[in-house]
Amino acid sequence: MYSIETKSLSKSFGDLKAVNDISFTVQEGEIFGFLGPNGAGKSTTMMILTTLLKPTSGQALVSGYDVRANPKEVRQRIGYVQQETTVDEYLTGRENLILQARLNHIPKDEIDKNIDEVLDLIELSDKQNEAVVTYSGGMRKRLDIAGGLLHRPKVLFLDEPTVGLDIQTRRKIWEYIKKIHTEFDMTIFLTTHYMEEADQLCDRIGIIDSGKIQVIDSPENMKSAMGKEVISLVIENGEAQTKFIEELEKIQLVNKINHDNEKITIFASKGTEVIPKIFQISSDLKIKINTISLTSPTLDDVFISYTGHEIRDEGGFNRKKEHAKMKRLRA
Amino acid sequence: MSLLYDSYTIFWRELKRYKKSRSGVLIRLIQPAIWIIVIGNTFAGTQPLIQSVGFEGQYIEFMAPGVIILTAIFTSIFGGVNTLWDRRYGFMNKALTSPISRSSIALGKMSAISLIAALQASLILGIALAIGVTFPNPIMIAPIMAIVILFSLGFSGISVMVAATAKSQETFWGIINFLGMPLFMLSPALFPLELLPEWLASVAKLNPVTYTVLLVREMMTGVSEGGVPALLSIAVISVFVLIMVGLASYVFTREVNKPF
Ligand SMILES: Nc1ncnc2c1ncn2[C@@H]1O[C@H](COP(=O)(O)OP(=O)(O)OP(=O)(O)O)[C@@H](O)[C@H]1O
Ligand SMILES: [Mg+2]
Repeated sequence: MYSIETKSLSKSFGDLKAVNDISFTVQEGEIFGFLGPNGAGKSTTMMILTTLLKPTSGQALVSGYDVRANPKEVRQRIGYVQQETTVDEYLTGRENLILQARLNHIPKDEIDKNIDEVLDLIELSDKQNEAVVTYSGGMRKRLDIAGGLLHRPKVLFLDEPTVGLDIQTRRKIWEYIKKIHTEFDMTIFLTTHYMEEADQLCDRIGIIDSGKIQVIDSPENMKSAMGKEVISLVIENGEAQTKFIEELEKIQLVNKINHDNEKITIFASKGTEVIPKIFQISSDLKIKINTISLTSPTLDDVFISYTGHEIRDEGGFNRKKEHAKMKRLRA
Repeated sequence: MSLLYDSYTIFWRELKRYKKSRSGVLIRLIQPAIWIIVIGNTFAGTQPLIQSVGFEGQYIEFMAPGVIILTAIFTSIFGGVNTLWDRRYGFMNKALTSPISRSSIALGKMSAISLIAALQASLILGIALAIGVTFPNPIMIAPIMAIVILFSLGFSGISVMVAATAKSQETFWGIINFLGMPLFMLSPALFPLELLPEWLASVAKLNPVTYTVLLVREMMTGVSEGGVPALLSIAVISVFVLIMVGLASYVFTREVNKPF
């Protein structure tokens, strides 16, 4: 039995297909991640799986139960940590967890034990009796995550667990997630738009863009499928650009080329042998290369190659949204 | 686990939140306190009017039960507004993805709101006593509070229902203000029904607030007016509450299953 299984899952809001014919499976005990930009449909998928939204069509099973036909069974087996922090500010950390424990029907005599254990895990024991208003954004997020796993759900859903947090806090939360995973042996389904996060945490990743899954594989496989090395070029814009790319594509060891105006990314098996050839072509075509670098492929490269754009494509808009999220986290 | 346990979980949370937002408690007391002190004294000259319907005491003694009910009405009918916050800020989704039933969320909220309303009402009762309203039979406080809790449960049902249906604060306040004031004014809370024109009086007779005011006033002053027996009042209030609680659970369950 799969922990999560979706078959041609779709969700429309009016004309907008937020989730468009998605099929995937998640094994028991796996950490599976959805990687995608803002508006890709990550949260919508998660809200279907957690019984909050009804799919427009298709089917979704969680822990063997259909989310539409047996939502109650599903709810008994999941933990859900939402994208926005949802802890009650007026309550103390511990009270928040007591509430969570009662909502999830943890037997009375186990509540205290579970809470102590989880508080210890997320290192909030000493702040537990203070009102959450006094917590930082990172602490709130940790408390939120603790609430999601307090009752040892079979499947834990984490919607962008580190969005809006600084890199140290983010790393810390990754650590917790890994610890949770080994200690409680649950299936984890998370969404993120941080490459590094997906790379660090997930056994397998689904790249999702505009409601569609572009590819599903392990981060390692994705990266090695790209070729062993990545050559990034920045050239002077000019007439000969198209010709230049065509010539580059003819180089034997080149697997794939992405280009975005003056930025060119070449995926190749033997970068050190390809570079001299690039220089040869550029001098033939009189193209000026401003910078050149040779690196191993990252998920960023994988993402670009499947979606044709960078995950942070939206630029300013994206930053604004991040800011709003941040403000909400701290509000 | 049971509906009772789950409702208690929500009830517990709502009361915790109420306790920790103390500033609200006082602010919400200001208006009824003004009513009882200012209006109670302004209309003190209307004593002949209330005497004409068989009420012998001071006007302030006549209107004190009305203001207690006013407090209960408004505390409870406003009380559901945090449902909108809960939906906006994720608590609702947390509860909705947990194994507890939708109706236990509604019931927990309603019972917390009605208890809070009764607490606020009892503070007003305290103010009334402090400014000289007398109480022939102090033992009556317990059943009076029981009636206020019961009555508020009905109004909290209205509030939760409207909050679950409204998608915005504006809609919520619009509907609540549209409902609250007329329900209060169309009752004998401030003036005897006998002073209303015939047709308004018959409309008032359809209003559960009327029966609650009459009942509480009878319990506080010992004077029965308008020929409505206490048992009838209790029956009307109970039916009103049962309908509201049932309807609110139903509407709440239906509405929260739709995306916000
Ligand atoms: N309730 C709704 N009504 C209408 N449109 C919606 C609703 N919820 C989501 N959408 C739209 O569906 C699309 C997918 O949204 P979703 O929240 O799933 O994206 P996401 O991948 O979680 O993005 P983010 O990284 O910003 O959280 C977006 O275009 C969004 O505007
Ligand atoms: Mg999202």
